[in-house]
Amino acid sequence: MVSLAVDNMLVGKDEPKGFLFENCRRNAFMAKQGVTLPKARSTGTTIVGVIFNEGVVLGADTRATGGSIVCDLNCEKIHYIADNVYCCGAGTAADTEFTTRMVSSKMELLKLRTGREGRVISALRMLKQYLFRYQGHVSAALVLGGVDVTGPALYTVYPHGSTDKLPYVTMGSGSLAAMSVFEDGYKVGMNEEEAKKLVRDAIRAGIVNDLGSGSNVDITVIKQGSVQQFRPYEVICKKSERQGDYTFPAGTTAVKSSHDMVPFSALRVTDEEVMEIS
Amino acid sequence: MSILEYNGASIVAMKGKNCVAIAADKRLGIRFQTVSCDFQKIFPMGKKLFIGLPGLATDVQTFANELKFHTNLYNLSESREISPKVFLSMVSNFLYQRRFGPYFIEPVIAGLDPKTDEPFIASTDLIGCPMVTDDFVVAGTCLEQLYGMCETLYKPDMQPDELFECISQSLLNAQDRDAYSGWGGVVYVIEPNKITKRELKARMD
Amino acid sequence: MSERYSFSLTTFSPSGKLVQIEYAIAAVAAGAPSIGIKSKTGVVLAAEKKTKSILYDDTTITKMEMITKHCGMTYSGMGPDFRLLVRNARKIAQQYFMKYNEEIPVSQLVQRVANVMQEYTHSGGVRPFGVSLLVAGFDQETPYLVQCDPSGAYFAWKATAMGKNHVNGKTFLEKRYNADLELEDAVHTAILTLKEGFEGQMTEDNIEIGICTGDGFRKLNRTEIKDYLAALN
Repeated sequence: MVSLAVDNMLVGKDEPKGFLFENCRRNAFMAKQGVTLPKARSTGTTIVGVIFNEGVVLGADTRATGGSIVCDLNCEKIHYIADNVYCCGAGTAADTEFTTRMVSSKMELLKLRTGREGRVISALRMLKQYLFRYQGHVSAALVLGGVDVTGPALYTVYPHGSTDKLPYVTMGSGSLAAMSVFEDGYKVGMNEEEAKKLVRDAIRAGIVNDLGSGSNVDITVIKQGSVQQFRPYEVICKKSERQGDYTFPAGTTAVKSSHDMVPFSALRVTDEEVMEIS
Repeated sequence: MSILEYNGASIVAMKGKNCVAIAADKRLGIRFQTVSCDFQKIFPMGKKLFIGLPGLATDVQTFANELKFHTNLYNLSESREISPKVFLSMVSNFLYQRRFGPYFIEPVIAGLDPKTDEPFIASTDLIGCPMVTDDFVVAGTCLEQLYGMCETLYKPDMQPDELFECISQSLLNAQDRDAYSGWGGVVYVIEPNKITKRELKARMD
Repeated sequence: MSERYSFSLTTFSPSGKLVQIEYAIAAVAAGAPSIGIKSKTGVVLAAEKKTKSILYDDTTITKMEMITKHCGMTYSGMGPDFRLLVRNARKIAQQYFMKYNEEIPVSQLVQRVANVMQEYTHSGGVRPFGVSLLVAGFDQETPYLVQCDPSGAYFAWKATAMGKNHVNGKTFLEKRYNADLELEDAVHTAILTLKEGFEGQMTEDNIEIGICTGDGFRKLNRTEIKDYLAALN
């Protein structure tokens, strides 16, 4: 068979495609030696979506956590898939980021190839088939929403590749808190303002009740032919004002601030090298 | 014990007004035994672009080499200097390719855009999830202490000199409460027309 | 197994020529003409898509494709070959974007597409592409117009003509071109150049025009082309 590896030619031989497993044996060996392997950054997250009379409202909090540390106070969890499709991500932050980016790229190619706007269901298929292939190891829990020729569409995608199609959905560690708000307040045929308010309340419930979620409410409203992004829609928990000022006098090593909270030894430069940039 | 703590390292980057700074400790250890107090953890990747790599020392060096290889290749084939934003994307792609067999490093990137001199700082986790912030990023074995120091000392729009004091004090005071990192410190302050590298005096215990 | 016997069709002749490539270029020269003109604010691509019979449904025939938001492509030569290159180009652009989180610069796109074309001149079991591409792009406030040949060579133009009658087309452009051309004038000049060797009546159904400006690449619709044609008469 004549095989001209077009993919290889395009990418170049030094740029392998897909995942690489070259460190796996070493890492497994180290794990056997008794060291614990670190965890990736995750988005504990409250993400929601709801259908209203003209389209879809997606909402998310903005906290990213690494263990119990809050890594990012204002991370973006509503990802672009296409001009008419957006996707909220919960789970391992890198997985949601890269999975949505890949699908976004495939949707763009699909749009160019077919000459028309992609459908939400196409993105859903790509996501679920990809996630199923990795049997849950790519841990992305998603809320996919958009508007296409068939009207508004809203789905959830679980890390193993199963999906739901519902008028209102929640995902992530704050999903229970958010769902309680939806179950109470959802009405069929809401207008845009009602839907935004409901989403805001649901995310707020996640932010205040779930430790994995925090900071702000981000909202994206998708209607036929238009997308509006509110980032943030509302700041639920503002960063507190700093009480003291701990400024060090520039160029000196002596103590300026008499505040005893910051005891520091004199800062002495032992070596200094200035590199000029031409 | 986490493998990220095996050799010990702490790195911080901060944004000032038209400048950025990146600082790291200098210790290389094997658990509690110190091996070197002049170990390179910050690597230049462009004229005004640096990456700090805390984590497992073997991966630090391997990854730094790999990155240098690819940035050089980029600079040659595009006949332009790589921008920090593109560099971040490259770093996170390399790490995510090894999603299921990762390098044990948590990169911190600091630099100025080669065209606009726009300050840029970012970090990723060990599988490459990018995080771009407007104030500071920290990583390493004394992450908690660094967060505390930076949250206390950082203020926006610092001049290079202020920024230096701020980042140095953050680093030194954080690493003094961390057994795994310390033994000196190194700070790069990156400005549009010069980069100043300073070695810091620190506790040697 | 058969790989062992599949040697390159593109072999040197004793005089040092790669005749397969020359034949490919001949296929291009026999193809329907296409024109590209660079103006201060954007690039114009124009192509003839005349059909052999009136029975063809010419609304379905396209000779011009969008590659990325800021880049489009047309060709002279063999249509099916173009399709493959378009697919490749789009994929290259998407891969670049995925890797660097930045739109691919036109120079990079052209270089990589040209690499694919070059690869087909020294690989086993394949023939060179029977097309020359004309790529219009816009990045970092600069318009680009680049031609890619079957050999894998590529060169930037201020204005050029390819395909049937390209010699006359180029002579015409040499007379008409100046660096201060506005985009509107460039469209007119492109249509006039196409008209040079055009047999029969030129209508909005048998030519295609694409423009690439800072706002991106787009093909003109039939009404717009009709208006341009009307303005010329």
